[in-house]
Amino acid sequence: MASLTAACRISARMARQSLRGFRTSAAALAAQNFTMPALSPTMTEGSIATWRVKEGDKFSAGDVLLEIETDKATMDVEAQDDGIMVKIMQADGAKGVAVGTRIAVIAEDGDDISSLEIPADAAPQSKPAESAPSAPPPPTTADQSNVAVPESAPQKSSSKSVPKPPNRQYPHYPSVAHLLKVNGVDAAAVKDITPTGPGGRLLKGDVLAYLGKINAQTPATVSERFEKQSHLDLSNIKLAKSTEAIKATTEKAQSKKLDAPAPSPVAVVTAPISLSAVIEVQKKVHQAIGVFLPLSTFIARATEIANQKLPLPANYQPTADELFDQVLGLDKVKHKESRGSYTPTFGSFVAPQRAARKADIIDILAAPSKRAAPQIKSATPGLTTSGPNVFSLQVPKSEEKRAQAFLSKMKLVLEQEADKLVRA
Amino acid sequence: MLSQRLIGRAAVRSAFKPSGLPVVVSPRLRRTYATESGLFANIKSWFSSKDSGRLTVDVPVEEKDLVIIGGGVAGYVAAIKAGQEGLKVACIEKRGTLGGTCLNVGCIPSKSLLNNSHLYHQILHDSKHRGIEVGDVKLNLAQLMKAKDQSVSGLTKGVEFLLKKNGVEYIKGAGSFADEHTVNVKLNDGGETSVKGKNILIATGSEVTPFPGLEIDEKRVISSTGAIALEKVPEKMLVIGGGIIGLEMASVWSRLGAQVTVIEFLDQIGGPGMDLEVAKSIQKILKKQGINFKTGTKVVSGDKSGETVKLEVDSAKGGKPETLEGDVVLVAIGRRPYTEGLGLENIGLEKDERGRIIIDSEYRTKIPHIRCVGDVTFGPMLAHKAEEEAVAAIEYIKKGYGHVNYGCIPSVMYTFPEVAWVGQSEQELKKAGVPYKVGTFPFSANSRAKTNLDTEGMVKMIADPETDRLLGVHIIGPNAGEMIAEGTLALEYGASSEDIARTCHAHPTLAEAFKEAAMATYSKAIHF
Repeated sequence: MASLTAACRISARMARQSLRGFRTSAAALAAQNFTMPALSPTMTEGSIATWRVKEGDKFSAGDVLLEIETDKATMDVEAQDDGIMVKIMQADGAKGVAVGTRIAVIAEDGDDISSLEIPADAAPQSKPAESAPSAPPPPTTADQSNVAVPESAPQKSSSKSVPKPPNRQYPHYPSVAHLLKVNGVDAAAVKDITPTGPGGRLLKGDVLAYLGKINAQTPATVSERFEKQSHLDLSNIKLAKSTEAIKATTEKAQSKKLDAPAPSPVAVVTAPISLSAVIEVQKKVHQAIGVFLPLSTFIARATEIANQKLPLPANYQPTADELFDQVLGLDKVKHKESRGSYTPTFGSFVAPQRAARKADIIDILAAPSKRAAPQIKSATPGLTTSGPNVFSLQVPKSEEKRAQAFLSKMKLVLEQEADKLVRA
Repeated sequence: MLSQRLIGRAAVRSAFKPSGLPVVVSPRLRRTYATESGLFANIKSWFSSKDSGRLTVDVPVEEKDLVIIGGGVAGYVAAIKAGQEGLKVACIEKRGTLGGTCLNVGCIPSKSLLNNSHLYHQILHDSKHRGIEVGDVKLNLAQLMKAKDQSVSGLTKGVEFLLKKNGVEYIKGAGSFADEHTVNVKLNDGGETSVKGKNILIATGSEVTPFPGLEIDEKRVISSTGAIALEKVPEKMLVIGGGIIGLEMASVWSRLGAQVTVIEFLDQIGGPGMDLEVAKSIQKILKKQGINFKTGTKVVSGDKSGETVKLEVDSAKGGKPETLEGDVVLVAIGRRPYTEGLGLENIGLEKDERGRIIIDSEYRTKIPHIRCVGDVTFGPMLAHKAEEEAVAAIEYIKKGYGHVNYGCIPSVMYTFPEVAWVGQSEQELKKAGVPYKVGTFPFSANSRAKTNLDTEGMVKMIADPETDRLLGVHIIGPNAGEMIAEGTLALEYGASSEDIARTCHAHPTLAEAFKEAAMATYSKAIHF
């Protein structure tokens, strides 16, 4: 039993060596086992795609020895040192070879391979029937045990039949490693410590809290403070005052919104608009000059037109300039209008995910706006955009009329004046 | 919240995707459909008649993936990053050279002057006891300025090359918004053009805040721009504002022979971010170097009509009026966001009371495809912060997530010795009622500093008293600006002072003082 566990530990070390390089001091005049390397921290098993060296081949540092396939990628395994391939244990195409399992035997450069003894497989993969430990801990565990686990650790981990991959693969911070060692916290217990560092890293404070040396809540409190500081403070923005009417329109509404404890009520304004006229025009253009204008262009332009000269929102507060104009009686000269900045969202009747909106449409249809005279021309066959589409806007309650005016202008432009977009 | 009302053009497009409409785009007209054929000229004239003639200039309208307004640190970094990410980018800059304030009239030229003036000062005053006898030392100011200009032009050309290398179109001119997707550019060479962008990034930076009633002429009343280009060393120089820029420029001209007085409204120099203990300490050091300070003093008014420029000053609390005179007055009271001529009103973008463009946490303005980074928006006005934001903004556009840790942005003042800090200061923690512990280590106990005969300064570390997690690092000392990188890294990784103390630092180096300060914080320093 004792020798078996010793063998386990050697295997774990070999697995690490296979990544780091073959040591001349590791086994004088003896072949070494080459085990399945862990090519990523989470890799537990892999398949051998192809061996690039044959038995008896010499290789030098940097040569690709074999290709390993994992569920994620195919990777080359390079030799870290010069050597000779003595024997390949797992041939091309071997699937699901656990990390740490012997896949080949290698010797040092210059060794006479015919006289070399092939070492026993340290990984007990070949004796699955025995109740003894069946797999060595993966190299990453070995890494961790190097740092934090007392000498008896391999015995513990090997007593479990399937070693779990550790959840923290990076090396511990110096202070953490020190504390764990000094206080004899073993690897298994490390997993129980709640990390509060950036990216789930284990900090000194976390270990101190786990050991009961400081208030258990402190690490989380400190971490919270850091989290808060890591963002720009955008909480108390005070909008600039402006004399320009256009800006004031939008800004006042916004600052109202920010000042008020509850957000101002939101109204959803919708209108059905048929795009058939637009599509007709689109087709004509396409036939005439072979240029296909995307619908989005039409809509973007219609939006721009419709945004011009919209009635002011209900809660519009005049600027200082306007108040002064009022005093002078100049306000009657100017139009009570301003430019909007709406962009509508829309969906078509046919789109199934928009089906819920139907109720809205019926409402609208039941009480159509003054201009509503939809000219639904014969739809272009095969186009799902042929029917009326619902254009909707979500605006503050006070801007409901403004938004309504926007949508009816939009409707007018798209349904009746679409050709104006192309013909003067 | 702000962005909910407005749905970008991308959304408009995507709504059509499921319809399966064939999109046949003529290759010749793909990006210029709105202008070239006569048919479309009609559309345009129809539009321009309704749109106050904004589109009347007959130029091709190109559509880019990203249009960046401003070629400063934020703008050019964003342009390069976006180019690397495979976006089609245009970068608009009106200065004529890239790099913005930082490269042209800020960080870079001032560092050249600081370095060379320090050498001059050291040769003049600090060589004899080192065993170096120097003959006649003379200042050639014109050559000093030439060396500065060479550094600047080398770097700005380097940036231009990088833009070219990454396929960025560099448009020399002043951009202003025509609509949400179009930026008109008044070209520096005359004429106008316009670019369309699916995304637009505002990176117009900042400008010097003028002092009310004292017009900056860059000859006698100067800003930082004039302060790096004076033609002769002034006899007497007054500096309004004892922040980083003010102190750096005060150092330069004081070393070159000017008699400098710094007037600061607050009770501490270095700006409110600098740790109080550090600020007091550096003030003492700079005073020893010959700079006069008037802290807690406000400038009431200025008058430049006479032979010299006169400043009426008063104690900030009132009561001790005084008149100061100088050949040159440097106004260094801060910088303000620069949005002039940008046409924000054309698209209804908002600014806050300090003129900063309002953004959300993903750098979006209320029009979501228009983003904004750097000095023109929130956060400290630092080149490296702008750079981080630029990369993050591009990552938001391309990958949907970007990251800047605002708690970990270092600040450096390049006086001699340098001052650098990252994280929180002692007074900030005190004010917030957060418990902390402090460890310090003076450079006078550091072997390398001793051999260099530069032993002024110290390293000060602030950590949480229970968890030992690092909260802030403050350094005065030669090369503090380089050393702060270690503190920033430690802070970013949530390290404790013990982690730093247990990390090996080479001997003999100044960095050992950093390690010893960490030791002093969690237990005891060895060499002090």
